[in-house]
Amino acid sequence: MTPRRFLPAAIAFTLALPAYGYPEFQQFVKKNSGRGTNCAMCHVHPDGPEGLKPGQIGSLSTEELNQLNRARAAFEPGQNAHNPILNAFGDSIINTLGKTKFLQIRLHPEELPEALGDTSDLDRDGIPDSKEYIAGTHPLDDSSGEPASLFLINLRRYAFHLVMMVVATGAGLYGLNAMLHWFDLLMSSGRDKDASEK
Amino acid sequence: MVNSFFFIGLPYIAVFSLVAGSIYRFKSERFSYSALSSQFLESKKLLWGSVLWHAGIMIIFVGHLIPFLLPGLWQSLTSQPAFVVAVEVLGVAAAFTALVGLVVLFVRRILSRHIQSVTTPVDLVVLALLIVQILIGIQTAAGHRWGSMWSVQTTTPYLWSVLTLQPDLIHVDSLPPTVKLHIAVAWIIIMLVPFSRLVHAFSLPIQYLWRAPQQVIWTNARRIRHIAPVIRKAEESRRLFLKGALGLGTAGGLLTVGVMDKLVRFFSGPNMTPEEQAALLQKRLERLEMTAEERDLELERMRNDYIFVANLKELSPKDGKYFIDYQMRPALAYRDTTGLPLLISAKCTHLGCTVASSVDASGRILCPCHISYFDLKTGMPQPGSPATKPLPLLGWALMDTQGNILVSQAPDGRREGEVPADKLEASMVYIAKRYEETV
Amino acid sequence: MGSERMNAVGAFLRDRLPLSHFSYEEMVGKKLVPVHRMSWGYYFGGLVLFFFLVQLGTGVMLLFYYQPTVSDAHASVEYITKHVGGGALIRNLHAWASSCMIFCLFVHLLTTFAMKAFEKPREITWISGVILLMVTFGFGFTGYLLPWHQIAVNATKVGLQSIEEAGQYMPGALADFPRYVKELIQGEAAVGQATLSRFYALHVVILPLLTFATLGLHVLMVQLHGMSQGVDHPTGKTERFFPFFLLKDFSLWGLVFLAVITLALCLPFESLFAYPLFEPFDPLGSTPEGIKPEWYFFFLYYPLELLPFWVVMLAMNAGIVLLLAVPWIFRRSSRRTLSMIAAAAALYLVTMTLFGDAIYTFFKGVPG
Repeated sequence: MTPRRFLPAAIAFTLALPAYGYPEFQQFVKKNSGRGTNCAMCHVHPDGPEGLKPGQIGSLSTEELNQLNRARAAFEPGQNAHNPILNAFGDSIINTLGKTKFLQIRLHPEELPEALGDTSDLDRDGIPDSKEYIAGTHPLDDSSGEPASLFLINLRRYAFHLVMMVVATGAGLYGLNAMLHWFDLLMSSGRDKDASEK
Repeated sequence: MVNSFFFIGLPYIAVFSLVAGSIYRFKSERFSYSALSSQFLESKKLLWGSVLWHAGIMIIFVGHLIPFLLPGLWQSLTSQPAFVVAVEVLGVAAAFTALVGLVVLFVRRILSRHIQSVTTPVDLVVLALLIVQILIGIQTAAGHRWGSMWSVQTTTPYLWSVLTLQPDLIHVDSLPPTVKLHIAVAWIIIMLVPFSRLVHAFSLPIQYLWRAPQQVIWTNARRIRHIAPVIRKAEESRRLFLKGALGLGTAGGLLTVGVMDKLVRFFSGPNMTPEEQAALLQKRLERLEMTAEERDLELERMRNDYIFVANLKELSPKDGKYFIDYQMRPALAYRDTTGLPLLISAKCTHLGCTVASSVDASGRILCPCHISYFDLKTGMPQPGSPATKPLPLLGWALMDTQGNILVSQAPDGRREGEVPADKLEASMVYIAKRYEETV
Repeated sequence: MGSERMNAVGAFLRDRLPLSHFSYEEMVGKKLVPVHRMSWGYYFGGLVLFFFLVQLGTGVMLLFYYQPTVSDAHASVEYITKHVGGGALIRNLHAWASSCMIFCLFVHLLTTFAMKAFEKPREITWISGVILLMVTFGFGFTGYLLPWHQIAVNATKVGLQSIEEAGQYMPGALADFPRYVKELIQGEAAVGQATLSRFYALHVVILPLLTFATLGLHVLMVQLHGMSQGVDHPTGKTERFFPFFLLKDFSLWGLVFLAVITLALCLPFESLFAYPLFEPFDPLGSTPEGIKPEWYFFFLYYPLELLPFWVVMLAMNAGIVLLLAVPWIFRRSSRRTLSMIAAAAALYLVTMTLFGDAIYTFFKGVPG
């Protein structure tokens, strides 16, 4: 769909309606983690599913709308339905829990991590999706994560590089130190020479 | 048959020659159990040649020894691509260093008449063989890449099979000719060790690293007394310099390898699957479309006197609808309690953030950046908010479906025309260019 | 009379520009570095230089993939981080090293002030240093915009808006002048493509050239004049600049590089912020919470949020003038006094940087 074609529609509807997804989760995460979050944790668009921007319902083609309806009817877990307004994390929640369980848990958003388990790590940053949810970081962005855990995980991941760098630095410092003493010796022998010549 | 000779017969001949020849030479001419020093004959070329050669060959020797002695450890290390690159680069650099040193030594032996007196033909043969061997080694590294990885499955088991007296050709049979040649020449050199100056390698060359460097000089008692302190200082100085050069060389080498690894990967561009490429392209296209949409809005505002905002019946008093005003700033459209449109700028007068669209219980809208509350009706900020200026209200015009203006209102509230109660629900809200100029 | 004046001017210039020292012997060979309890302060200038070199290297590399257009900037930065081999490391190194550079610059400024390194005849060194400080802030401000994400564009908007705010204190026709300046900087009525192009040109061409020139002068002056004595009562101990001080400098560079590259490899700079801030800028969508400038502008940002605008504006302008006039204002101050002033300034900077948010919350009742 080209922008020009849907431009009149864009003006006819809203440009950015408030989100009508399930904001209970976002509210819980924000309160729990103290971090600013938005709908993009589970949805395609950061302003939520309503609207005309890419990833919002107003922008979907007929085929995508059918997909949306199929995904909305995925009441049992494990149906692998792709919902065009959800991102990979949103899809994985519905796939793990099923829509029925999800609608129940919606009233207790603090129970979502336990229901999800910690086996899935979609961005492969080493922090499971459920932990990222609690911490208010993005489960699909490997540069987003609790800084301390991310640092420790990466320390282990890049251990080889780090060891090589420590060796290089150590060798360099050793060499510079030896050079320092060498120059010292040269200077002192220079002074001896001056003294003896005088 | 040829293979059997070079890789089973020759190794045992070489080892026998090495052991027996060394013992014989050690017993018969004990003091010759070294390289006959030629330092006092010619020292400048010796320094460069010898240091380079020994530095290079020691690194290469260690590099050949570890995969042989500790294949398990080596295999786990070489599973790191960066390590393989580092080792190979270091190895080739060391090979070139050794080669340069060796060529200098070779030239020195040929050109200096003094030195020829302490040179045996075997020395020259061994020197030449060593040069050839290094060239083959470099060719192997370049032509059959990542020997540090494949050697563990090929040459290591072969050497162990020879060493445990169960020679097995299966590991070398399939190797390329260059590698086979490298192995064969190695056995020949080992065979010649006892008859050449290479024998000095057994007088524990490792101790060179710790002991104070010795200088070979013509001497007498008086001279020793005079120059002893000078020599001590010179020795100390040289040791410090070598330590420094070693440290800095290692650091520089590792740094170069690390930086080259990153640079090459950075500039060789991304490694993406077709799906990733498609996803990336789609994302970029969407961004372009968004930009195009924005430009479209801009052009529309330049050309038209009226811009459509919404159908009046879609507007609500509680939740605003964003639209873009003539200045390309975000604005919000509501329907006030009298049923008429209420248009207000959504660009916070404090620092220009976009004001949120929902109206709270006391009829205020909020700018989330620095928590400024604005009264929706008047646009006035709540006292104490960071914003001090009111959000400007915008003028509007209501049109019927035929495009006739029913009623319009300027930003200051002046109204033109009468509100037609019957046509209100079907009317459409527009912003007008003529009102923008008064803002 | 006239010739006396001429001589005075000549003597003034000769003191400030001791070009007779322009030789290897004077500038490197015989140069001495005093040894005393404040000697650690001598290393920070070198560290700033080191980080500048890191920025230069990583910056040039980023230049190969970055695209300065509003539709492509964010995508190209994402491309560097996610797809280019080692791109995340390079970009992260650029981010971390910029912060380290500014931190070292603050320390360098405060220690040289406390050690009275601006004392006659080193005025040119000091003033070129102040200019370098401004240029570095310019680097920070312009570079912040380039990734074109929410925090980048919105924080830039906030920063530029404060220029316009000055208009309300100007009389009559001048009231529009600050807005004019703002639009001159951003190139159009709102922050957009023109702003991005301008900031890009500033960040990658103009500011680097300015830095080369000023830094050249700064380092030349440091080498011509030699190190300042640094304390009121010199210990008399010195060490040679070459090779001893220089080798120690390099050792420190090595250690610092290890620390920074470990950070750059293991801790994405962006993980310290909330993720919505790094989404592409959307001029029509909502602004996420937590829009703030980089930490090194907090000392200016929080007062700007808390105090009346004119107070901060006045203080800032006075601060710049004060900074430039330091060599003359504090001509007769002892280093003890200077140290106390520097400590007070350091306390202010640390408080505002670490606890600015808490102070803001305390006074305003909501997090900044």
